[in-house]
Amino acid sequence: MNPVSQVIVVIGVGIILLAAIGLMKLKTPYARIHAAGKASPVAFLVIAIGVIPEVGWRGGAEMVLACVALVITLPIGVHLLFRAVHVARPEHDPQLDELRAASRRSESASDT
Amino acid sequence: MIQLAFIMLVVAALGSLYRIAAGPTLADRIIALDLALISLMGGIAIDAANRGTARYMILIVVIAIIGFTATVAASRFMEVEGRERQHHAHQDPPTAAPGGSS
Repeated sequence: MNPVSQVIVVIGVGIILLAAIGLMKLKTPYARIHAAGKASPVAFLVIAIGVIPEVGWRGGAEMVLACVALVITLPIGVHLLFRAVHVARPEHDPQLDELRAASRRSESASDT
Repeated sequence: MIQLAFIMLVVAALGSLYRIAAGPTLADRIIALDLALISLMGGIAIDAANRGTARYMILIVVIAIIGFTATVAASRFMEVEGRERQHHAHQDPPTAAPGGSS
């Protein structure tokens, strides 16, 4: 591989490593999902920038397709995970939780 | 340089395996599995660039879509289960004993 590609690939892998360290060290589920879910598509994009000049047109097209699939689908999955934690684990709520207050208000409005 | 990249990928995958084994909630396990799949995708891409062939690269697209499907299904499962548990706890507060670690 060309040296510039190697350096870019190592930078991308370093971002994945930072996400894994955040996943291991952080304390609450919100912080862990935040660390891993935000950093990983960026890391894959950086790896793709390094890899695409080495694999020709067909490989480059498949790499772009994988990047588009990842960038579209991963934020949706992370959003659903945050929502599942918010519904299933009320003991991990942050200090300021406007969604909880709004859902309580709508519940009490629907009760009356 | 490529060996360094593979070693860092293995360390990241081991960290997410630790979180899969030890994570207190189901959401931690799901996001750790997602990070392990992304490191697998990065490993396949780096290996393809290292060999200079694009033969196995369609695997990356397949892994991305399968990982999204697994994340959505598991988070829906966790959400429905938590909603049912809170509904039971809301109905009879004195006998409800939530807080068991899943």
